[in-house]
Amino acid sequence: MSSQELLSFRLNGQPVTTPCEPARILLDLLREDLEETGTKRGCDLGTCGCCTVLLDGRPTLSCLSLARLVEGCEVTTIEGVSPPQGLSPVQAAFVAHGATQCGFCTPGFVLTATALLKENPHPSREEIVRAISGNLCRCTGYTKIIEAIDAAARGGP
Amino acid sequence: MHLDPFELHRPTSLDATVRLAGDLAGRFDYLAGGTDLLPNYKMHLNLRPHLIALDRVPELRGRSLERLGAMERLADLERDPALRAAFPGLADAVSEVATPLVRASGTVGGNLLVETRCFFFNQSYFWRASLGFCLKADGDRCHVVPQKERCYATFSGDLAPPLIALDAEVEIAGADGRRRIPLAAMYDAGGDGIRRTTLAPGEIVVAVHLPSAARGLRSRYKKLRVRPSYDFPELGVAVAGRWEDGGRVERLRLAIGGAETYPRRFDDLTSALEGGTLSDERVRALAEAVGERVRPVHNTFLLPDYRRRMVAVYVRRALAEARAGRAG
Repeated sequence: MSSQELLSFRLNGQPVTTPCEPARILLDLLREDLEETGTKRGCDLGTCGCCTVLLDGRPTLSCLSLARLVEGCEVTTIEGVSPPQGLSPVQAAFVAHGATQCGFCTPGFVLTATALLKENPHPSREEIVRAISGNLCRCTGYTKIIEAIDAAARGGP
Repeated sequence: MHLDPFELHRPTSLDATVRLAGDLAGRFDYLAGGTDLLPNYKMHLNLRPHLIALDRVPELRGRSLERLGAMERLADLERDPALRAAFPGLADAVSEVATPLVRASGTVGGNLLVETRCFFFNQSYFWRASLGFCLKADGDRCHVVPQKERCYATFSGDLAPPLIALDAEVEIAGADGRRRIPLAAMYDAGGDGIRRTTLAPGEIVVAVHLPSAARGLRSRYKKLRVRPSYDFPELGVAVAGRWEDGGRVERLRLAIGGAETYPRRFDDLTSALEGGTLSDERVRALAEAVGERVRPVHNTFLLPDYRRRMVAVYVRRALAEARAGRAG
């Protein structure tokens, strides 16, 4: 493969074609090349979950993904979660429950929660706790985040 | 963190993969889920100029109660109720690997071949340079047990102990074709700690095979770690056996990981219990005997004396839960 090779995939529903070197990490491609900075760089080593995106619908650590391997895939970032007007149900619930403080970890939590509710629309509290156990929040603690996801699952903010 | 440049290969068959591995001998790493390799690359640990991505090799896929393809993702194993019913100890271990996000990418083969860990190794280049590096990367001496012959980094995979306790075999492909060996034999690598497996250069793990006798055994995996939601094992104890409630033990296996450089089984100790009942006294004696043999060193977060004392505790707990659980 030449290092000048173009990478094509769908980002938040839109086709994207961009030059991409083999060693390019998906997180760096999103933030630096495509300027989609909603996806956050936390630990950069897979510990914190701030960089979570959905890869073909599955929560994935973009800091540990080679960009070249998403060729032909659908990548959803926090920018793709919100409907054209307003907020997604998970986002609305996070606002209503004050489930953010500094907000840095929030995109990752929202994507993890969005994928959870798609796979399991009525999770128990324990299932919610387990699902978000790879996303770290250093401000609020987790109670409000859990309550927000639970509320979104029940159909209200 | 940006990665240093490398060439990326993405073969679409096992034959092409093995051929490529031959051509690139010694100058490549296989890339499975990337959750272990890429953090290590970010830390400049043993970089290679080529990566062979395995995500498009169909022979490495597929999951049944007989065979787990090496590229099967841990998250998919975790969601498989048939697998949990047949192999509860393995299911425990799968669901306790790191976090759901790591398991979404992490694979069976990747966990079996996860790089050994040590707090003198899993550090940045700058940190390691300040100590003159170590035997495992860029240097020639060990800081844990000062000498220049043996690496004491800790085997940190969670799947190996339960699979060894189930007498699983591993299917391997290389330039000379395919072969199958007991998984335990893959780790019987001579003991210098640098050579982690008996795989020949370029050989690749294709799948794990589970014998039919492993199905429905009473089994458990107990994992000691600092943060229960994330960390690598400081100790992992797997047991698998067959016995009726209160009856004689027909079969018993025990394997340990996270404590030494290689996962280890204790067949001489466990087979001595076969034919008798699993009394509290016998369980206690087994736990003590295993604990006597395990020798952790000071290279992970918890102190070695504590980890060593926990061996007997975790053996007892694993067996107590296996006794309480129904045979599958």
